[in-house]
Amino acid sequence: MDQTTNYFQLIYRVILSLIGVWFLSIIWPYISDVVLMLVFAFLFTTVLLSSVDSLERKIGNRGLSVLAVVLMILIVFGTFIGSFISQMSYQAKDFSNRIDKETLTAEFSKLGDQLTAALPNFMKDMQSTNGDMAGKLSEIVNTTIGSLASMAGAIGNFMFIATMVFIFTIILLAEYHGFRKSLVNIIPNKYFEVGLKLIYNIEKSVSSYLRGQFLSALSVAAMSVAGLLILNLFGANLTLTIFIGIIAGLANLIPLIGPFVGMVPAILIAFMNNIGNDVATAHMLFGVLPSPFFIFDIILMFLVVQQIEGNLITPALVGKSVGLHPMLVMIALLVGGTILGPLGMLFAVPATGVLKVIFKEIVFVKKNAHLL
Amino acid sequence: MKSATWENIFKGWNSSESATVHTLKQVPIFKELTDKEFNELEKLIHHRKYNEGDFVFKNRATGEGMYIIMEGSVKITLGTKSDNESILAELSEGDFFGELALFDDEPRSANAIATQDSELLGFFTQDLMTLQERNPVLGQKILFNLGGVLGERLRGTNSLLIKAQSNK
Repeated sequence: MDQTTNYFQLIYRVILSLIGVWFLSIIWPYISDVVLMLVFAFLFTTVLLSSVDSLERKIGNRGLSVLAVVLMILIVFGTFIGSFISQMSYQAKDFSNRIDKETLTAEFSKLGDQLTAALPNFMKDMQSTNGDMAGKLSEIVNTTIGSLASMAGAIGNFMFIATMVFIFTIILLAEYHGFRKSLVNIIPNKYFEVGLKLIYNIEKSVSSYLRGQFLSALSVAAMSVAGLLILNLFGANLTLTIFIGIIAGLANLIPLIGPFVGMVPAILIAFMNNIGNDVATAHMLFGVLPSPFFIFDIILMFLVVQQIEGNLITPALVGKSVGLHPMLVMIALLVGGTILGPLGMLFAVPATGVLKVIFKEIVFVKKNAHLL
Repeated sequence: MKSATWENIFKGWNSSESATVHTLKQVPIFKELTDKEFNELEKLIHHRKYNEGDFVFKNRATGEGMYIIMEGSVKITLGTKSDNESILAELSEGDFFGELALFDDEPRSANAIATQDSELLGFFTQDLMTLQERNPVLGQKILFNLGGVLGERLRGTNSLLIKAQSNK
């Protein structure tokens, strides 16, 4: 009789779960944006919470503390974006003044010649004509410029999401402890202390992961700026070094792929600044490897920065904050990337860390079910 | 005629203290706290309701903090079956238990069972840490009082031990 009841309960639970999943799949397209905004707001809240709490300790007012922290972030962010846009437009104007389309095509042809000359013989046979290469490169540049207009719509959408995330973050920061208490209050008596411990462990895991990530991004940014300035001493002629460093630091937040994305702005700037400069075009890395526009120097510098960050700084700062196996990190990244694209990759590791904490607690509860 | 505007502006003035604050004021762990600090503490305290016979916690279960009896009564026992149950203490309104869990990760050393429908106030390690972060003066007051309570209990245990040894 007991066995039959257990089977019925199991079937009932499976049917209920399936209905739940089906319902979620129907409403997901309508709520996904809001869920994403809330997840972002929660992550920002976790990062900023300790600053707000510390300020509240000093001035004794929660509202004012939230306002002060948020204003500070806005000023820093506004200054960064403002000066980035103005310097970028100055850079672009300077680039377009220096280079017309004919010169650009001629430069590409010259670059193609040099690259072909540096290639081993068997690879030269595999190459098509240099003219094709120059044409393709020019085409890519023209397409890129053309697609800038379509970016305006995407920027508008981004601004809306950013504003909503900002508002959610302010509300969460102001009411965080109240929200947490309300969440705790709905836990049934039987699971109360276990639930309390689970929430605490999740908070600890997410906040230590985020703090570690923030510090490692900061270290990558600082080392990249230093590396770019050193390259400038050798005549790399790189501008916007601080912005390139910050972008590299931010890109580094996405494991495995991010570090390579971080190199792109530096390579673009090196190309823009050095086009038409014969010395930079003919530059050789260590006097052996042809490195036009210092491109391979930049790649090598970023690789060195990543090695220092990955092997020395992150283990010291982050330690085993999430403690996931590298294989699991890769699987998480693939799944996150497939579901949500780059954003999914950004969230994949902390989300897997949270799931690991929950799984560990469930195993613990199962083992100690007689104590509940 | 009463004006709703003025009533709203002065809402909260001369308000009488809540039942929660009234209960907290009876607990020695929260002695010498100001009214403002009691209000701060009230925001963190968890309200839990238990029916008669419900376990608040079981022996050997993980402990996260202490409970204060706001309404009802609780017995602290070892053993759960009626034949092997030994009652260590019977607690009523204003009493508190489980405070050792605020300091260590050790499992609970006894059962706590509601002997009638009860309302308890829960104060947990995480709340104490939050308080320490947001209002260290209040956090330190509570820690100091907790130390005093534990010291008093240790002195009581010592005198019982001395008495037991001298009776041998």
